[in-house]
Amino acid sequence: MEHSNSPSHLTDAELFGLAIPAAGVPEALPAHFSDCLACTRALQEWKTAVRDLAADGGAVDGRSAEEWAAAEAKTIEAIRRARFARRPLPWRWGVGVAASILLVVALAVPSRHTPQRARPGVPAATDLSAEDQADDALLRDVAMLSRGDDGAGAWNSLLPDSGASIREEDRL
Amino acid sequence: MRALQKTLLAGALAALSVPALAAPDFPEGKWWKRPRLAAEIGLSADQSRDIEKIFVKSRTRLIDLKADLEKKQLALQSSMEDQVADRRTVEKEIEAVENARAELQKARALMILDMKQILKHEQWERLLQMQQEMRERRMMEREGRPEGYRPRDGRPPARPKASRGD
Repeated sequence: MEHSNSPSHLTDAELFGLAIPAAGVPEALPAHFSDCLACTRALQEWKTAVRDLAADGGAVDGRSAEEWAAAEAKTIEAIRRARFARRPLPWRWGVGVAASILLVVALAVPSRHTPQRARPGVPAATDLSAEDQADDALLRDVAMLSRGDDGAGAWNSLLPDSGASIREEDRL
Repeated sequence: MRALQKTLLAGALAALSVPALAAPDFPEGKWWKRPRLAAEIGLSADQSRDIEKIFVKSRTRLIDLKADLEKKQLALQSSMEDQVADRRTVEKEIEAVENARAELQKARALMILDMKQILKHEQWERLLQMQQEMRERRMMEREGRPEGYRPRDGRPPARPKASRGD
């Protein structure tokens, strides 16, 4: 629809007015069209464009009641599908809760059972009375002190650790 | 000269016997009061009672000797931390600590010897073996090896003969 607006040719506004007459009644074409092929072609293009627009509008306007109902149902279904896909599924919540419970149980159970694990020869603290426990501690302290591996109180604890020194030498 | 010979002999005996009796293989604590251990070595109620008597007889002395050693250790520690510690004083304190430790070790060794007299030979052997196994298990756990691991064909390693008191 590129039409020159030279004084000898019709303007786009004039062509648009001729393509869509104001009252729906075709206007009488100017005599210029009989002489100007370019303006005739330009008017044809305008009319074609207007017809195409009218055809698009008619596709929606011309729908029957059934077609509208079908389109509505299709739209609602599409909206439902979209909403359902975005919402977390109920079983996913269940899996999350179950996993949390299992984690808590896995962490709690071993710590509760560790002191009850039977080791031959090693008594649980509850095996001995309070007095026996005090005696037990005394005997252990005596054993440790007489071996000289009592750590902080021993004078040789102030000396460098010979084992550490050997390991250090191995590295060199 | 005779005094020196006596001292050397006593020292040699102490070096042989005391570490043997006070070996780390001997169970620590009130082992005769532990039901599982007592059942394992077949300790009777009478034996348990006799061993308890021996312990009670030694308890006061052990408490005193332990306290004495700890006090001497504390004194030495203070001197060692002192910036202007006298060398001679520290030397004496070291000797005092080691003498107190020797006294404690001796008292404990004699108590263990008396307890050993109550047990049958097999019971004593089993007791030492159990302690050895327990020590190895603890070492393995510390090193991160599996609990059922045994170093020699599934059997615990034999204790060196020289380290036993019998």
